[in-house]
Amino acid sequence: MMTLAETGLQYPVLAHFLTTGAILFALGMIGFLTRRNLIIVFLCTEMMFQGVVVTLVGLSKYHMNVTGQTFVIFVLTIAACEAALALGLVVLMFRRKRTLDSLSWSQLSG
Amino acid sequence: MSMTIQNVLAQSTETQVAGLASPIVIYIASLLGAVAVYLLMPKNRFNWRFIGTVLGLASLVTLWGYLSKTISWQDLGITNAAYAYYYVFSAISIIAAVRVITHRKPIYSALWFVLVVLSSAGLFVTLSAQFMAFAMVIIYGGAILVTYMFVIMLASHSGGPEHEDEGAEYDTHAREPLFAIIAGGLLMAVLLNVWFTPANDGSPTIYQTNAQSKSDDVLINNYLNNRAESATSAAIIAVEGEEALKNYAGQEQPQLTNIEKIGLNLFNAHPLALEIAGVILLISLIGAIVIARTQVPDEDNIKSRA
Repeated sequence: MMTLAETGLQYPVLAHFLTTGAILFALGMIGFLTRRNLIIVFLCTEMMFQGVVVTLVGLSKYHMNVTGQTFVIFVLTIAACEAALALGLVVLMFRRKRTLDSLSWSQLSG
Repeated sequence: MSMTIQNVLAQSTETQVAGLASPIVIYIASLLGAVAVYLLMPKNRFNWRFIGTVLGLASLVTLWGYLSKTISWQDLGITNAAYAYYYVFSAISIIAAVRVITHRKPIYSALWFVLVVLSSAGLFVTLSAQFMAFAMVIIYGGAILVTYMFVIMLASHSGGPEHEDEGAEYDTHAREPLFAIIAGGLLMAVLLNVWFTPANDGSPTIYQTNAQSKSDDVLINNYLNNRAESATSAAIIAVEGEEALKNYAGQEQPQLTNIEKIGLNLFNAHPLALEIAGVILLISLIGAIVIARTQVPDEDNIKSRA
């Protein structure tokens, strides 16, 4: 009668998925802070989104509540918008300075 | 009557709280992982990739050894096979994530990120969130990453053939790796520590509800803490007898698939958010077109003219 899709997770199993999400988020943050290539910097923000999404889906299964999964759709929307705008700006900067180095933009002035 | 339901629900919550013990293992694993990522970072002086890889795997094994001890096997919530697949997909996604932030060539970083997306889609399938898995693969792997690929190809540094192996200087040298990794390791240790000490350790918190009596508060909280349907039917059996379960059978929700549940939830509970998401997409569409049409003077031209 009961299928596994209808049962919530045991807390330690949820902790497994939260761990994966935390590791992805922390690695994304390290990459965001250390890499100097602007494209990789924005790729690392996408990886932080991935960590958050894993956490959201795990918690949605734990609480038996699909709102967590619905929220992932909005996260995806924001990620797509961010990718389009950020990459447009990166191409603009590349056309201006002929480099993707974030350090070359350390003194921004008019 | 309500006391009986409480007892039944309390019995079923007891198995949920396993002994989650000392956080020292988490700190050791975080430290090992941080050292491993530091050794794997692109730098000029040292190139201790082998030691970094070994340390990173040791960190993962420590963490998972600790994790798998906390499991009690009778009621996982996912099948045992799915639990085994968790380790496979999680290992792939973490290793690929490390490669994303340590690879010297941007195009390979993007390809490793595709692997992160695919393996986390696998994680979603083990959680029986099939729609999210497909959406991840199609939107992330299919659309966003293709945009990244195009930009990497548009903006790649076309150095001479003698520099082809090395790549640009900004790709081969990390910026302040030590401090960033300390910050990242601390963040991970704190997050893991919070998640391995659940707030309801034995004595569940009683949240205020709108119920009329205090015992109903306790009842609702217990129910919210453990919302599995088996607990509901166990409560019905305990209070009203096994015969009464048939009366509730007709009231059960129809069996919905994952995508139907998400669709209903999205359009019933969040219509305004959906509209706002559409507006945000439109704004970023216009913004992207405006940015793409902007004429940019090359800085070398400006300097030569001045």
